[in-house]
Amino acid sequence: MNAAEVVNTLLEERFGVTPGEVTEGTALRSLRLDSLALEELRVLIEEQLDVDLEEVSLTSRDTVGQLVAAIDGKVTA
Amino acid sequence: MTARRKPFAAAVTGLGLVTAAGVGTKATWHSITHDTVPGGVSYQDELADLPCDFMYMATDLDTTELLGVATRRLMDRFSQLAVIAAREAVGDAGLDPESWDRSRVAVVIGSAHGGLPFYDQQFTAMTGRGARRVSPKLAPLTVINSAASSVCMDLGAQGPSLGVATACSSGTVAVGTAHQLLRAGVCDIAIAGGAESVLSRLLIASACQMKAVSTRRDDPATACRPFDVDRDGFVVGEGAGLLVMERPEDARARRAPIRARIAGYGASSDAYAAVAPDPEGKGIEQALRTAMADADVQGGDVGHVNAHGTSTVVNDHVEAMMLQRVLGDHPLVTSTKAMTGHTLGAAGGIETALTVLALEEQLVPHTANLTVPDPRIPIEVVRAEPRRAAFDCAVKTSLGFGGHNAALVLTRS
Repeated sequence: MNAAEVVNTLLEERFGVTPGEVTEGTALRSLRLDSLALEELRVLIEEQLDVDLEEVSLTSRDTVGQLVAAIDGKVTA
Repeated sequence: MTARRKPFAAAVTGLGLVTAAGVGTKATWHSITHDTVPGGVSYQDELADLPCDFMYMATDLDTTELLGVATRRLMDRFSQLAVIAAREAVGDAGLDPESWDRSRVAVVIGSAHGGLPFYDQQFTAMTGRGARRVSPKLAPLTVINSAASSVCMDLGAQGPSLGVATACSSGTVAVGTAHQLLRAGVCDIAIAGGAESVLSRLLIASACQMKAVSTRRDDPATACRPFDVDRDGFVVGEGAGLLVMERPEDARARRAPIRARIAGYGASSDAYAAVAPDPEGKGIEQALRTAMADADVQGGDVGHVNAHGTSTVVNDHVEAMMLQRVLGDHPLVTSTKAMTGHTLGAAGGIETALTVLALEEQLVPHTANLTVPDPRIPIEVVRAEPRRAAFDCAVKTSLGFGGHNAALVLTRS
């Protein structure tokens, strides 16, 4: 699975986001992800993709597309 | 010197139960008054090879379906059970969380161990996969007050709320605390009781080392046998039991049926031992006498006792001697733990709800698995089948590790 697929699957299965609710431009906060949820999501992505996102700054104003791009940057780096 | 106050009886207007005997108040009561063998006890993989490898579980429950992924992810299982029971209790009371004065709704929920299973899982993650794989949710999910805060969030209750932690008397202390909050006028509605779910290999391994739990592995369904001559320890169960309580005039004003009343509360501390109760039951006696004085009732008034009755050798003997001393030998005593398991901090909530139902139905549930009553026990324990009786007053007793005792007096509405 690529980063976008992992993020979408986690959002649906672990955070109860409705399929179809997510587009690249959707802000994480509009998916009801608060700062605690973002830190939980960070751990889950690190675990699934074996990446280190410690240096990535995440806020709920970021979009799903920005998150995926940040992960891709770490995966390819 | 006992400080006397004007008696205050809180109206119970709603009940919510999730137990190994059934999901929902009706299902639980039906099982407890009809079944002679508990159906909710089973072997658990998590407990494999321990001297006690079985537990009472509320298996008939799809928490994801009931709560949804987004709500469920912020709760360990004891909080999930609490929210499900609270929704039932509030619905039963005919209250509408959209229209009540949310600042006047209190939530008081007891639990002994809170989110211990999540704590265990995260400790395993840290030792196996490192600190960077630990969930950031450890504190919010595992604190004892998490059941109370989860119910507040789910129902929009914004009055004073708290978790109560007095080990196995937590649920009873929670109901007593709600009684005091209503009496003091600091809330108009209280949602109170207990919640527990500790399918934790660590905890049960330790309980086995303590020799506190039954090791009847060949037949778990008969392992918990309160007041029986062959009892050998308790069996842990999960569950939640919550009551909606109000001042009687408020219940009457909104024409809500009053199911029973919490008429008196007493609590005490043994100041004696970490686990064992005072050998003469002096602490639980003090709690019960305080509750009876609070309700202004005498031993002769009490027709029914839902006992702590854990099925340990010591508890059942000490408690029975105390009940006989304080109340006499006439009350019809039961322990419902053979049907629900010992739900620790939830027990007082579940069993107070069952006492409300006993008063309402004028029916004392039998003590399942009690086949040969211990001849050293001088009280009348109902067994084999439930007993019809006329009684206006009942008592709930609870004892907790650490010597935390609590008693409630309930009256028929």
